[in-house]
Amino acid sequence: MKQISIYRPTSVEEAVQILTEQGPKAAVYAGGTDLLIRLKNRLTQAPTQLIDIKRIHNLRYIKEDSGGGVRIGAATTLTEIAESDLLKSRYPMLVQAVNMISSPELRNASTLGGDLLQEVWCQYLRGGYACWRNGGYMCYGAIGDNSYYHSAMGGRLCYAVYPGDVATALIPFDARVKLATPGGTKELSIEQLVPGDLLVDGRIQSHVVRYNEILTEVTIPTPKPSLRASFEKLRPRGVWDFAMASLAMSLQLRSGAIEDARVVFGGIAGKPLRETTVENFLKGKTLKEELGGQAAGLALAGAAPLKYNATKIDMAKGLLQSGIAKLNAAN
Amino acid sequence: MQPIEAILFEPVGCLAEFPPEPFQEIAAQLFGRRRQPSKSGSRSYWHLLNLMEAASETCMVETLEMEAVAGASLYEDVLPAASELRSLGVKLLIASSLSSSAVRHFLEARGLAGFFGEVWTRDNSGGIKAAALKSALATTRSERAIYLTDTAEGLKAAKSAGINAVLMMNDPDEARRLALRNPAGGIVSLHELPDFVRVVVAQLASSQEVG
Repeated sequence: MKQISIYRPTSVEEAVQILTEQGPKAAVYAGGTDLLIRLKNRLTQAPTQLIDIKRIHNLRYIKEDSGGGVRIGAATTLTEIAESDLLKSRYPMLVQAVNMISSPELRNASTLGGDLLQEVWCQYLRGGYACWRNGGYMCYGAIGDNSYYHSAMGGRLCYAVYPGDVATALIPFDARVKLATPGGTKELSIEQLVPGDLLVDGRIQSHVVRYNEILTEVTIPTPKPSLRASFEKLRPRGVWDFAMASLAMSLQLRSGAIEDARVVFGGIAGKPLRETTVENFLKGKTLKEELGGQAAGLALAGAAPLKYNATKIDMAKGLLQSGIAKLNAAN
Repeated sequence: MQPIEAILFEPVGCLAEFPPEPFQEIAAQLFGRRRQPSKSGSRSYWHLLNLMEAASETCMVETLEMEAVAGASLYEDVLPAASELRSLGVKLLIASSLSSSAVRHFLEARGLAGFFGEVWTRDNSGGIKAAALKSALATTRSERAIYLTDTAEGLKAAKSAGINAVLMMNDPDEARRLALRNPAGGIVSLHELPDFVRVVVAQLASSQEVG
């Protein structure tokens, strides 16, 4: 195990200052369900200075905001989200998605921010291979067993999929995040937060958060009364696995017609993949079960599966059909 | 790894998918060697080079090489990747065991000639395999260059010439075997080469900051 130092700031400003002073070898430590495993896996990219933000009290809350939306502190645990009556009443799809993340034990520790910004779970990275994310210059997933943790939609150096479910489930609600930075607060959409692999501070990561920035809050606008949303997830085991494919979808209905749509796939690409072709197809149509087959036929035209994961595309299309069927049945 | 200033390409398998048959035919006609035909143009090509290395007879090769060049399918990512690499200031070179006329015809017919500042072939480098690499490295610092290859023989040639080999992972099964030979890196698509260059620079900058 690496020699590590732990800092325990009591304010976000202090935490940002320490991160800035320590440089890219420092990282935010909250739930630890990803970070501590990276350390345990002895990854080259694992941090050596941990900035423990659990003592910062104003990062753990679920509040209704003045506009009727909801604000969730980044250090709020997934269990707190899953048990929130406010969220259950406003965004049942989000709560459903959170309940399908991992195990109850891990949800007790995992935080909202940690889930959004978690490292990929490629077995080659976690197994210590010198891949792009671990000090090397090759993606072993692209040529090895890529049936589970790897993209079926192409890649950019690293072919691991973005593993988080919360981001996928938040996009249909047009949620946004706030980052504390040395220059003040920055606000981004979820899609801007996790755009897929990119080079940040000399390393490849799925999100845009720099080494000296902290995700502090997620804000979710008030859903319109006629919004219908669903979350579907396929995984090898019924509990505690990452998605092989998932789908978060919302339909805004007016007199049975689809006024607006959000269709977001998880587990199949290096980011939560918004399928705008299907969204545009659905807009203006009357919601009925047959739309599912037509939408599935249009979905994921840019698929580029690796040797062992073409089935992810079939899974995702199947989820789209079943998601539309469920929303139609519930209408 | 040092910042990458130059990239050496073997056209066969790295810029285009070449048909295997012409190389197999050369091997059969010149050297009487017919073996289990490979579906890979690259493997057939490097097998032929092994035979050529062991013999002095090379006439008739060119005609069939031109046939291979005519049948080669350029990868769709070559032009955008070459353009981006050029805009990054990376020098692109050809280092091939094909004849000069075959390489020239290949580059001109596909609109690639303007991208490659130097073209080293078995004719102007005086040999095959590592010879073209060594000639190219006379004007380029080997520690700041990479050689793209998709075969074990290519990796050996790179080692012999003292240049970092980067695996073009065209066939995942073959690439998995070749990864065990410790290439300096690997890419799935030429689209990734500009990012490869940027990552090396960024990691060096990052390690210097930490240091």
